[in-house]
Amino acid sequence: MYKSRLFLLLGLLMAFTACKKEESETVTPPLETLTFKNLEAPGDEIDRGTGQIIKANPFIYFSFETGGVVDASANWDIGFKGTTLVFNGGTSGSGQGGALIQLGTFDEKIEAPESTAFRTDSDSEFAVPTGSDNGWYNYSGPPNFLITPLAGRIIMVKTNDGKYAKVEVLSYYKDAPAQPNAFTDQSGTYTFRYMYQADGSRTLK
Amino acid sequence: MRTITIALIISALNIYNAFSQTVRKDSIAAIELSEVVVTATRTEKQLGSLTTPLTLIKKSQIQALGALRLTEVLQEQTGLAIINDHGQGIQMQGFDPDYTLILIDGEPLVGRTAGTLELSRIAVNNIKQIEVVKGPSSSLYGSEALAGVINIITDTPQRTQGGINLQYGANQTMNVNGQVSFRHKKLGVYLFADRYSSQGYDFNPDVYGATVEPYANYTFQSKIKYDFSPNLKLTLSGRYFQETQEQRSEVGGNTPLIVSGEGIQTDGNFLMTLDHRLNKNLKLQYRLYHTLYDTESSLRYETDQQMFAESFFKQRFTRPEIVANYYFNTQHFLTLGVGGTLESVRATRYDGEKTFNTQYVFGQYEWTPAKNLTVIGGARLDMHSVYGQQLSPKFSTRYQLAPWLALRGSVGVGFKAPDFRQLYLNFTNTTVGYSVFGTEEVVAGVDRFTQAGEILNVFTDPSTFTTLNPERSIAYNFGLDMKWKNGLKAEVNLFRNDIENLIETQIVARKTNNQSIFSYTNLREVFTQGAEVNVSYNLLKNLQIKGGYQYLIAKDKAVVDQLDRGEVFKRDPVTLVTTRVKPSEYGGLFNRSRHMANIRLFYTHKAINASLRAVYRGRYGLGDLNGNQILDADNEYVAGYWLWNASVAREFGRLVRLQVGVDNLLDFRNETMIPGIAGRLWYIRASLNLGKQ
Repeated sequence: MYKSRLFLLLGLLMAFTACKKEESETVTPPLETLTFKNLEAPGDEIDRGTGQIIKANPFIYFSFETGGVVDASANWDIGFKGTTLVFNGGTSGSGQGGALIQLGTFDEKIEAPESTAFRTDSDSEFAVPTGSDNGWYNYSGPPNFLITPLAGRIIMVKTNDGKYAKVEVLSYYKDAPAQPNAFTDQSGTYTFRYMYQADGSRTLK
Repeated sequence: MRTITIALIISALNIYNAFSQTVRKDSIAAIELSEVVVTATRTEKQLGSLTTPLTLIKKSQIQALGALRLTEVLQEQTGLAIINDHGQGIQMQGFDPDYTLILIDGEPLVGRTAGTLELSRIAVNNIKQIEVVKGPSSSLYGSEALAGVINIITDTPQRTQGGINLQYGANQTMNVNGQVSFRHKKLGVYLFADRYSSQGYDFNPDVYGATVEPYANYTFQSKIKYDFSPNLKLTLSGRYFQETQEQRSEVGGNTPLIVSGEGIQTDGNFLMTLDHRLNKNLKLQYRLYHTLYDTESSLRYETDQQMFAESFFKQRFTRPEIVANYYFNTQHFLTLGVGGTLESVRATRYDGEKTFNTQYVFGQYEWTPAKNLTVIGGARLDMHSVYGQQLSPKFSTRYQLAPWLALRGSVGVGFKAPDFRQLYLNFTNTTVGYSVFGTEEVVAGVDRFTQAGEILNVFTDPSTFTTLNPERSIAYNFGLDMKWKNGLKAEVNLFRNDIENLIETQIVARKTNNQSIFSYTNLREVFTQGAEVNVSYNLLKNLQIKGGYQYLIAKDKAVVDQLDRGEVFKRDPVTLVTTRVKPSEYGGLFNRSRHMANIRLFYTHKAINASLRAVYRGRYGLGDLNGNQILDADNEYVAGYWLWNASVAREFGRLVRLQVGVDNLLDFRNETMIPGIAGRLWYIRASLNLGKQ
């Protein structure tokens, strides 16, 4: 009886000191969750009759460091074109970049995976696989032909210089309409939520 | 195996040499002796003696509804919902329309579009009765009878008589039909002709083309019976249906062009039946059935009359069959059957002609060990040219516990063979650019696109699309039949269906035009379970009330598991915040109502017949809106609704009958979610009956 009380006391003491310690560390504020709206990255325009490309569109590149769209020559992290995402590494770029899709909510994913767990783009497959339900989206096919970002798929990202970030795609249509219409809303227009850890650690919270 | 079974049947047919009545009397009141049904066991049975749930809809009920097409009759029955998916089909025990077999005089109708057999193809004024069997009947009927069987039994020439019906109603809906029947000694002839037309309706005048375009159709039916002797009877029957519907739409982007044309569908069937009673104990029935279903449509640009699109579809189905009934004694009764089907399809979307053939044998043994106990066991073996063998057993029993209470129970296997579309489709949508291949065509199809350099990436190796397996279910039905002296009747049925190998579309590859190539695979496992209750009671001498209710749960088993593991998320479409879906939030499969109900009042007084019927369909899922492909949010549902229908008929002597009625009395509409409900529809009908009484 006496013993257990002592343990309780010790426990409380430890909890108290632990709290103290955390407070002193969180002088650096928690990382900011940012939302980037309407990144326009249309896919190639194709003649539906012949399958020939009428107009090839470029990848549109995004950098977490600048928090915006950058040139292909800059230190980009993610490239967008149509429903395809590329990361600055492997066959897609000269950086250390890669990605890994994880199941969960954005807030739950508070730590990036080990560096070695990331996948890079290769000739056979992208780090974030393309195709309906394989990667970040579902394609409904007829009659609505909608691209819907799958809920609960978080893209963990390794940036071009080996830092970490997490991304959740929210919409593929301009202004993220609550009920998108594939025929009238502008597609290939990304809205996504992200968090970037600039200090090189894997902490994402 | 096959030869042994056939040899067994042949020897069975040869050895036994005696036959007597298959309809055995039981303790059912004399007034119901006419309620003989055939669909549950393929023999004539009293409605009150069945081991499986069956709904009987008689001619008088069809008349009371003022119904003209089959959909109008079925939508008021407990547990049946009309589903609009490439036509109006029926949902039974939570199954899509693909899984209910539709028979006319015991033989299947063909011609399904994306799995749905359009039930408004069937006129009802020549129908003697409709029998709806719930639960699998593949042990007798083979493929498609997973959810159940709807058997439409047409009129037969009983006596010399004739009649004409005229009906006119809202949307310029017009129906004229007439029938004559002639009976002289050994010969009976029945002829029926029907014309139905409607102007359709339009909920969206701003959009080019109507919600339902004008259409007109014709049905002709004939039946000839000739009795060579009391023991040898021949029946020939033929049915022909043709419908023409206008088609209009706008195509093109910035400068829309109007295309228009006509769609024609034709449906015909021919049945020859020879009933041969060899002796007191043995009866043979030889059947030969042929049916066809054709559609063709062409759309031309209105400006220059150049062809925009043209398509055709031709399906043929032929089936010879022999069925033997052997009556040992009051306790033992055997049914054996052997037959084969030959099916073929030629269509715009298929490469050349595709054919299937199936041979099958079935047997059913009825045992009545005691007056109050019936046990039926049966099985059917189908041998299919593409997917192989399929064995479908079924076991059912009924026990009369007390004069007012009977228990029913059954366990059975149902299956649905992959259809032509799932095996052989070869289709590329020219306006959008996606492609769909049946599993037998997918390797060649993807190869062709690969060689043309039109494949961006392959998601699933086409060679892994092996021949599809039939979709299969195991079903359990348990019921109570209750009947009290004061006329109160109640039936309860609990059901559970476990379905495996459900065929789904799967994306195979993506083309350079960003569109997908689809094929089919056996993927899902789902279950449906629920309870159905039917009650009827004579409130007054002239006033009968009927009520029905169905409770239904239908879920995808993989989704249930994912939910339990916490792997399903939802994104609020407005706030864009993602959260985990709780298992309790899962609403099950789309398009299923948890609650369906009906209340129907029928009044009869002298020459007047009136009815007031209300049918409720509870809320059901329409489509995903929050990024997880499952039904889990309130805004993914269509609100539940009631439809009220009323009619009054009066007979003037035996010659003339007048009827007026209104369907959808309260003018319920949901233009965007349920365009198939047209709003309030009134009608007036006059009938003339001529004949010897």
